[in-house]
Amino acid sequence: MAAPLRVKRQLLVSPWLFAAPGLLITGAFVLYPFASTLANSFTDRRTLLPGHFVGLANFRELLHDDMFWTGLRNSFLYILGVVPALVVLPLLLALLVRKNIPGITFFRSAFYTPVVASIVVVGLIWVWLLDERGLVNSLLESVGIGRIGFLSDQWLLLLSAMAVTVWKGLGYYMIIYLAALANVPRELHEAAAVDGAGPVRRFLSVTVPAVRSTMVLVAALSSVAAFKVFSEVYLMAGPNGGPAGEDTTLVMLVQRTGTGLTGRVGYASALSVVVFVVTVALMLLVLRADRREER
Amino acid sequence: MPMSRRALAAVAVALVLPLSACGSGGDDGGTTDASGKVEGDITFQTWNLRANFKPYFEGVIADFEHKYPGTHVKWVDQPAEGYADKLSADAAGGTLPDVVNVSPDLVAPLAKAGLALDLDKAAATYRSEYLEGAWAGHRIPGMSGTYAFPWYLNTGPLFYNKALFEKAGLAPDQPPRTYDELFFDALRMAQKSDGKVATLANVPTIEDFGRYGVPLMNEQGTGFTFNDAKGVELLTRYKQLYDAKALDPQALTATGESAGKKFLTGAVAMNPGSALDLGNFKKNAPGLYRNIGITDQITSSGHVNMYVMGVMVNSRTRHTPAAVAFAHFVTDARNQMAFAKKVAIFPSTAGSLDDPYFTEEDGTDETRVRIAAAKSLKSAVNYTPVLFSEQMKTALRNEVAKALQGKESPREALDNAVEAADRLLQQG
Repeated sequence: MAAPLRVKRQLLVSPWLFAAPGLLITGAFVLYPFASTLANSFTDRRTLLPGHFVGLANFRELLHDDMFWTGLRNSFLYILGVVPALVVLPLLLALLVRKNIPGITFFRSAFYTPVVASIVVVGLIWVWLLDERGLVNSLLESVGIGRIGFLSDQWLLLLSAMAVTVWKGLGYYMIIYLAALANVPRELHEAAAVDGAGPVRRFLSVTVPAVRSTMVLVAALSSVAAFKVFSEVYLMAGPNGGPAGEDTTLVMLVQRTGTGLTGRVGYASALSVVVFVVTVALMLLVLRADRREER
Repeated sequence: MPMSRRALAAVAVALVLPLSACGSGGDDGGTTDASGKVEGDITFQTWNLRANFKPYFEGVIADFEHKYPGTHVKWVDQPAEGYADKLSADAAGGTLPDVVNVSPDLVAPLAKAGLALDLDKAAATYRSEYLEGAWAGHRIPGMSGTYAFPWYLNTGPLFYNKALFEKAGLAPDQPPRTYDELFFDALRMAQKSDGKVATLANVPTIEDFGRYGVPLMNEQGTGFTFNDAKGVELLTRYKQLYDAKALDPQALTATGESAGKKFLTGAVAMNPGSALDLGNFKKNAPGLYRNIGITDQITSSGHVNMYVMGVMVNSRTRHTPAAVAFAHFVTDARNQMAFAKKVAIFPSTAGSLDDPYFTEEDGTDETRVRIAAAKSLKSAVNYTPVLFSEQMKTALRNEVAKALQGKESPREALDNAVEAADRLLQQG
């Protein structure tokens, strides 16, 4: 009976062997850094100096740090500005390009191009366009509107960064919607048309309910990405986070606080823990809202 | 669902393990005694110098290896962007090279962490070869010792666009030489151009406060003092410039690079620079080059600002004699002079600035700028306090921006900046 025993042993070991590379990578690059960040958030550790346990002092300091509240405000504003646009606009774009007409592949590729373009390159191009002496301001001046401080006004800067995020993300979510739209039964549209529903009515009563779960997915993905925004704001507002740091987002604050030779690793870890908690809360909120809708 | 003991143990280990990394770093390093035989393999790290000066450094390394058989120098170069982050990652990971190109503000945290060799102990014999001020440039308030060899110095003039001066009705051959003249000309320029041409593109930094004659730190090096009446006066004058658009509206988010581009495109009339910039103007903005005006840095203190580069020896090196010998070799008078002839930098070695290369005119703008800079360097000051960290610079910049926007008075802004910088200083 040795053979079945060996098989049984192999059955116990083999799955772990297959999973081992993934587990090791996840352990080294996800779980350990996560646990390390959590542990550091209770210390006063600096980049080059060892830390000591300080309990909840970092979290208490957060509550009195104006820049933390600025970062939290901007990260939430980013969600409010970006998520609705990224839920609705890619769906409309997907409806526009889903029909197989000559040349449509070009438009699909064109809409997708910003997704694959480097965010640094994209950010720099937009900075040139929106500069005080850039193309957009030259056009505005030529039609008598005058120059607008897209990159010098705190709120316009944030709006400009949001516009870049939406522009860059459209193609990605469009592809997700295209897959979802392909699964909407044609008969539903035909039945609605027979009942006299026009294009708008069919969109609201057939398309939207059919892709609702995809919309929830897009809302969840885009809200998490929006809350963790870094590159767009960093590139457009500068490393300082705009005038007086008023455009700083939470992730920018983590980077600014925790890096460099004098970085406050403990404090930056506490900020990271807050970002993590809020991100999980956002996901749960979106999923709960979806479940309530389903009921 | 109650958590099993194993799960609890796993969570505890996961939380406690990383804390073990918070312990004091082990001292597995070398010795401060540099008197032994110069031999062994060492690594030398420069700061964004390979692209333009590869043959020069390869030559220096070959000369050193020839002079000291049994040594091998591995040269690595890091990009300018994120250099401090690279150093901190290497320092934290125990992979800091043996000999490292640093600036005084970078060497301060490394010295505090015990990673920089005290050269007053390990290389005191070389001290007399350098300018006294340059050698003192890598001393850290609150610590005894000197933590890097002085390397090259840099300073530069103020460039201005003569065509823009002329257009504003200002004499193109009479650039401002005092702060009063600078602020007067800037307001005039903004008024004449209807706010379209600013004179300055950067908000005041800690160096500007120093140049204006504001005391930056107390004598003990335990607190910042740039919120005194003179500091408030400077910020108030900058606020007037900002309101009149004589300071570029995008100055609040500008970097040194973006300000330089504004000057190139004629959006800004004045910009600080170095002799190196003349080549850039000639190549990228020939129109500007034809109209370029060159004047001295404006100071109230009588001392221009200089930037100091250093070469630090890692205290944990396994080959202290070789590392110290190489750091000295790179920064000795012969090699600094050779480097200065390749690029617009200035040696920190005693007597080098009296070389005819830095004193005799040949009729070109480049030489004129070089000679003027070398002359001013003899009494120049590195205004940026070595303890003024990146976080402190950010705090000052943000408070200055609030004052310029009118969200705070200049007094409140500077009080807040000093409070933030002092807090960061106390935190170590």
